[in-house]
Amino acid sequence: MGEALSLSGFMMDSFTEVKFKNLPDYLIGFEVRQNRADCLSLYGLAREAAAFYGLKVKLPKTKKIGAVGEKLDIKVDAGKVVKRITAIKLSGLKNAESPVWLKEFVAFQGINSINLLVDLSNYVMFLTGYPSHLIDLHKVNGTISWSLNHDFSEVTTLMGTTVALKKDNELIIRDQKNIIALSLVGSKSAEIDMTTDSVIAEVAVYDHAVIRKNSRSLSIVTEASHRLEKVLDPNGCLAALELLASLILEYAGGRAESGLYDYYPKKYVSPVIEFIPGSPSQFSGIEIPDKTALKIFKDLEFKIISPRLIGPGPKKSGRKILVTPPTYRQDLELPEDLVEEAIRIYGYDKIPADRAPGLPVTPEITPKNIILAEKIRDILTATGFDEILSWPLTGKDDNGLTNYSAWRTIAAQNSINDLFPNLRQSIASGLLIQLDEYFKKNLKFIDIFEIGRVFGEKDGKYLEHESLGILTAAKEKALPKFKNNLENLLRLIGFNDLKYFEAKIKPAIAHPNSVWEIYADGKAIGIIYKLAPRENKLESYFAEIDLNLITSLLKGRENNPVVELTQKLIYLDANIELEKNQSVYEYLNGLEKKIDKKNLWALTVADIYPLENKTRYTIRVAYKELTDQEAKKIHLSVFNL
Amino acid sequence: MPDNKLKNLIATLKVDLESAKVINDTEKIWRRYFGDSGEIKLCMKEIKNLSVEGKKIKAPIMKSLYDEALGLFRAKENLLKHNLDKRALESGSEELNYDSPKIGHLHPITKTIREMNQLFVSLGFSIMDGPEIEEDEYCFQRLNVPMDHPARDMQDTIYIKEPNYLLRTQTSSIEARTLANYKPPFKIVSPGRVYRNENVNKSNHFIFHQYQAVVVLDKVSLKDMFGVFNLLLKKMYGRDVIVRYRNKYYPEVEPGAGVDLRCFNCGGAGCPVCKGVGWIEIGGSGIIHPKVMKVAGIDTKKWRGFAFGLGLDRMVMAKYNITDIRTLLGGNLGYKYYENESLI
Repeated sequence: MGEALSLSGFMMDSFTEVKFKNLPDYLIGFEVRQNRADCLSLYGLAREAAAFYGLKVKLPKTKKIGAVGEKLDIKVDAGKVVKRITAIKLSGLKNAESPVWLKEFVAFQGINSINLLVDLSNYVMFLTGYPSHLIDLHKVNGTISWSLNHDFSEVTTLMGTTVALKKDNELIIRDQKNIIALSLVGSKSAEIDMTTDSVIAEVAVYDHAVIRKNSRSLSIVTEASHRLEKVLDPNGCLAALELLASLILEYAGGRAESGLYDYYPKKYVSPVIEFIPGSPSQFSGIEIPDKTALKIFKDLEFKIISPRLIGPGPKKSGRKILVTPPTYRQDLELPEDLVEEAIRIYGYDKIPADRAPGLPVTPEITPKNIILAEKIRDILTATGFDEILSWPLTGKDDNGLTNYSAWRTIAAQNSINDLFPNLRQSIASGLLIQLDEYFKKNLKFIDIFEIGRVFGEKDGKYLEHESLGILTAAKEKALPKFKNNLENLLRLIGFNDLKYFEAKIKPAIAHPNSVWEIYADGKAIGIIYKLAPRENKLESYFAEIDLNLITSLLKGRENNPVVELTQKLIYLDANIELEKNQSVYEYLNGLEKKIDKKNLWALTVADIYPLENKTRYTIRVAYKELTDQEAKKIHLSVFNL
Repeated sequence: MPDNKLKNLIATLKVDLESAKVINDTEKIWRRYFGDSGEIKLCMKEIKNLSVEGKKIKAPIMKSLYDEALGLFRAKENLLKHNLDKRALESGSEELNYDSPKIGHLHPITKTIREMNQLFVSLGFSIMDGPEIEEDEYCFQRLNVPMDHPARDMQDTIYIKEPNYLLRTQTSSIEARTLANYKPPFKIVSPGRVYRNENVNKSNHFIFHQYQAVVVLDKVSLKDMFGVFNLLLKKMYGRDVIVRYRNKYYPEVEPGAGVDLRCFNCGGAGCPVCKGVGWIEIGGSGIIHPKVMKVAGIDTKKWRGFAFGLGLDRMVMAKYNITDIRTLLGGNLGYKYYENESLI
């Protein structure tokens, strides 16, 4: 049965040998998903098993509750959220310790036995799926009402914990003075004890969303809330109440003092759903005859309105097969829902899983940044860097140390703990933690990188982009090597025009005189800096590149680094002097424009010599496809020599 | 007679060649004997002064002696050249070093994603990603999970600004965005990082990784989906893996399917690892719910899709013998300097 129910939607998640009523037995646990509140009960699972095996369910007989008797003093103020309330007054009861079988039963559900009345209430909940309240009438003052409007500030629950309430926020059951119960848990003030001899038993169904909100805001999760926050069938309330009343009267004696109280403003009626012939076969990929599907529906207690359609016949076209599920199947509304019902009972195990389909060709839509990130990973690992992944949530101060962009920190409202409330603005935060860990663990080579998201808020918008962070730590200064590794990467992925300018926003962890913005094609794409001295006394360097930005810069670009060389290259130098604040990159930019592209092979700074107020640069130009004389002529002209 | 003179010169040449120790010494000898004013060269020029009869007799002898002298010189020159090459070779030789270069490594999660991508790219799938700060609309509403739907309890959400902005709890949000932004047909996979508000310990993390596949074609079935999912599982777990598909509710699919592997620890007999049931759940799947398709503007009469997903972290942990999930995103993940996995 465990296997059978697992296949049809209720995964067996535990299987234990137990003793029940002094006999060996088995306790099987099933996972019931959120759409099947009807199966948070033994009745529901019994119906499922019956449908699977083609059997009929036989439920215990209960006494019907009549209309004759005392009228209960109940009022419903929260009409919008109460779907149905059924209640009855039972008097002359003798509460007691529960019988052994009942104690064993509730213990299987992980519940402690309290007393006979409370245990029977729980027993009925596990049988039917409907939570109930038993209200000790000796502890109630006047009219009992269901209300959302209240000004109680707290309530002590049956478990003895006091929870704070918000005005007009929770659905409560109250008398003139006190809270008798919350919808999802009883109150200590009307608790059933061994002296209880007169109760109002009620079974109700509410708007599940309100119960869910109450459960979350109060942090109260009970077996009752677990059920009431799902979509329960209001039509089932009465049967559950009748079972509870029957059991109480059987085990605790007494009598029904009142007639049935039934608040049910809008009766729930099942939808009529069209069954599309052939659909179970189309969706499953195997032949499931429509007749088989309709037999399954009958086993599931669905009503079929026009079954004559099935089978060959001239009248088949244009007529519909309409199906009505029982009201407890609140999860069914669409033709596709019927398809699932047919396939799940027919058996998922009958669908072959070893037939790889020949899927048709579809357009390639992979975004370029994903392809680029993969290439970058390959290049960096080939250069000796190790990939790490770190937490995108960071400590309170981390962004203040590592951020270099004009955006604000984003904080999670409910982060897992107070130590890591913020989303990182730079990959540096994670890499630095890794650096410290590797240092502690005495690792020799620390060349690491991470590709991940960084986040920030700007102009009221939440921004994020894929970012590459690279970090190197060494015993000796290694900035040129680090910069070359980075530049090697950037050139390999297609950037020719790379420049470095002193950064405008300098991260606090950076050495203030060694922070540069990285420019590609005239746009700032990231940052490179030396870290300020750290405890580990290593020389550490970090660089970060905005991968989304560089993807957009590289898109559509057509570089062609392949050249047909017919003559030797000619290298000629020239010295220039620039003011301290003048950029050599800008000078080179200007120079590049003066030389015909077809004759320029490379432009480099061969030497730098500081002067009093200026800097002297030796610029080396490599000319191609020119004779010595031609190159010299151009060189003299370009440098005004 | 010039031939006698030449013989004497050959004798002195032999002495000089004997004393030459390096190749440079031969230059001097060449100049002395064979240069334009060299003694042998000049001696050979004396042939023209002989009578016709003398030429007939002496010239061949002289030529033979000259060749002998030149042969002696070339032999010595070659010997010294060879010695030079040998010394040059010896002075430029190098020894192999014994310290290996440190190599770089990909993260195990990346490696696993790549393995899976490799399969799907070969099947013509594209790879997609989406934002990690996600809107409620794409993470839940478009996936048939409206506000206050009970299914939200399955995923305890980390909010940036409740209720609309959150950290994505599932890679299905990428599915929702792809459905909204691309016209069918398409086949995509979306590996990605997801977040849930869970305490971090040895077995649980608030960050983990999922791998999702979405296919929208003119017609697909559960059989197609099981076939594709099986390909993936056989690639990742081996050909002998036993897979079970069973009905399971997920709000974004209808019909839905849970996916289990036969317990690797007990083979299905039941053990603590599988809680006695013989199976270990590894993923979820199903035919994309008509509401999900419709909200994306996709005509369900024309198109049908399937989607499946599975968690990566536990798979990676099992593969790399990692016992603590925190290691994947923490400081404890180390790589051996000089070792890598086989690339084939």
